[in-house]
Amino acid sequence: MNIILAFCCGLLAATGTYMLLRRSFVKLVIGLALLSHAANLLIYIVASPLLGRPPLVRAGETQPPAPFADPLPGALILTAIVISFGVVAFTIVLIKRTYEEIGTDDLDQMTSTDRDLC
Amino acid sequence: MNPNLIALIVVIPLATGVLCALARRSTPLCRFIGLTALLANLGLVLAMLGSLGAGQPMFVSMMGKWAPPFGIAIVFDGLSGTLLAIALTVAVAAYIHSWNLLPRHIEHGWFHPLFHMLILGVNFSFLTGDLFNLFVAFEIMLMASYALMCLGGTRQQMSQAFKYVLLNLVGSTVFVLTAGMIYGVTGTLNYADLARFVAENEGALPTGFQALAVALLFVFCLKAAVFPLWFWLPDTYHTLPSSIGAVFAALLSKVGVYAVLRMYPMAFANPGVDDLELVRTILAILAGVTMVLAILGAVGATNLRRVVAMILIAHVGYLIFGVTMMNAESFAATLHYMAQEMIIIAGLMLCIGLIEQRAGSVDLRELGGLARRYPLLSTMFFLLAMGLVGIPPLSGFYGKAVLLREGASSGAWWLVGATTFTAVLTLVAIARVWITAFWSELKGPLLDLPEGAKAGPDMPLPLAYAGIGLLVGVSLILGFGAERSYSWTQQATASLATPSIYIDGVLDLNPIRDLPDNSTLALIEPDLQHTVTP
Repeated sequence: MNIILAFCCGLLAATGTYMLLRRSFVKLVIGLALLSHAANLLIYIVASPLLGRPPLVRAGETQPPAPFADPLPGALILTAIVISFGVVAFTIVLIKRTYEEIGTDDLDQMTSTDRDLC
Repeated sequence: MNPNLIALIVVIPLATGVLCALARRSTPLCRFIGLTALLANLGLVLAMLGSLGAGQPMFVSMMGKWAPPFGIAIVFDGLSGTLLAIALTVAVAAYIHSWNLLPRHIEHGWFHPLFHMLILGVNFSFLTGDLFNLFVAFEIMLMASYALMCLGGTRQQMSQAFKYVLLNLVGSTVFVLTAGMIYGVTGTLNYADLARFVAENEGALPTGFQALAVALLFVFCLKAAVFPLWFWLPDTYHTLPSSIGAVFAALLSKVGVYAVLRMYPMAFANPGVDDLELVRTILAILAGVTMVLAILGAVGATNLRRVVAMILIAHVGYLIFGVTMMNAESFAATLHYMAQEMIIIAGLMLCIGLIEQRAGSVDLRELGGLARRYPLLSTMFFLLAMGLVGIPPLSGFYGKAVLLREGASSGAWWLVGATTFTAVLTLVAIARVWITAFWSELKGPLLDLPEGAKAGPDMPLPLAYAGIGLLVGVSLILGFGAERSYSWTQQATASLATPSIYIDGVLDLNPIRDLPDNSTLALIEPDLQHTVTP
């Protein structure tokens, strides 16, 4: 099972990187979203969720019965998901505004704003 | 002093941000709340710095009383405290400056809440003792900086903001990936515990640990604008209003340097571990190349903002050079140099804002004769610039001298050469600005207006001057009081050269390893997952 997850993670990362190399804004952001999914899935694999039981403590005991899955990566992923959600939402609004201002969806056309600066 | 007071350093800007968001229709109220909060925060940091001493090297607060290394540690020691104090001083100066020079339409649109959220992120980055928490702090800081960059919404701003956001998104993704994998191979994210792990596993570090150290370095170098990841910085700082630009220049890039200074000597490039030689070599190469290339850019630039941005990058190279030497003196010099550079770069950016308002341009080809027309502004610019060059009684001299001495004694001759070259070219770049913009014939798009006109070039801007004056004052204190300020930075960085101070300080707070029942820990050891078969 872990190997399937690992392949999924690699596939997401590869697709994300491919999209990142495109010139269109929108595809760039889709690529970034995919990359962040790859990152989250990787942390999930690190936790090896399938090897242990949930880390639940039975009544009267002080620790969960071994082997149990590490609960911390779940917390990390949750945080990372929330953050990437917010940032992607912001980026989409930014794309819309940038498109309205510059009138192009092509990164190569955006160099016109660099030349004014030098 | 109660260590849980550290939380206030983060809570104050958060509360201020929320209050300013609620009160955003009333600019005077926002300004009052904001300045009070910044000063209160600065006072708290100074009071806590004052109560640090030999018997109390640091304050550690464990959120929710979870014992280290499982809980999130918030650590206030000499290093983070000093940088917090400097950062808040810069924030106060830029805040006052913005009251005079920030365009009204930007101030009315969410400037105040976002500014405090940025300070929140910066403070949190300096305080946290946990790698994943550092990621969260970076994201708070970046989110506020994205929004601040877009305020105003001009064509150039949007296009630069877009590039900045995308680059940092890539950086953040790499950060999450690396943090996850570091947790996977070491089983911890706590800085102190990571340092302990590296020291205990000398010679038997997990496979790929070096690669993780370098991947993490990528993230920090992107933030700190180290070669080859510095291309975004000059254009970005270009489009910002000067008050906001000063905060970005002084704080954002230095947070990346702080992360390297905090984690690399102790853990990821620990000088006692031979396996990590590669990371130390990479750091040294990056330092040298950053200095030389960036300062060449500064000498060639014609735009004043670009000159300062390139000098800023070159001096990040100095700081990384200080980190690579890995001894007590070099760390102290790095902190001293970093503190004064934050002050000076912010001061120069604020001066540029004032020049832009006075003369209507920041292009060296269009400027001239400022020294005659604006003697006070020119004096302040001169003092700051000479401090950056490192002319002896001023603040840049001491740190630079110690860095060169340590470099020479550690035999890193090519880096010493690069440092000297950079110092000379910094002088050239500054002298060029000084001669063309300040000493030559009076010229500038706005300066044709008759003297005494109350608009444009002669509008009184006391607060802008006060903000710059504050930074000039601090820089002079750091320079003339170098003996005391340097011995302070020696104390503050003692834990970098002797990591056991930091490790014991954090991990011994609630030593879970000494609990009678040690079995809890054994179950959470990282290799568990690999030894258990389904």
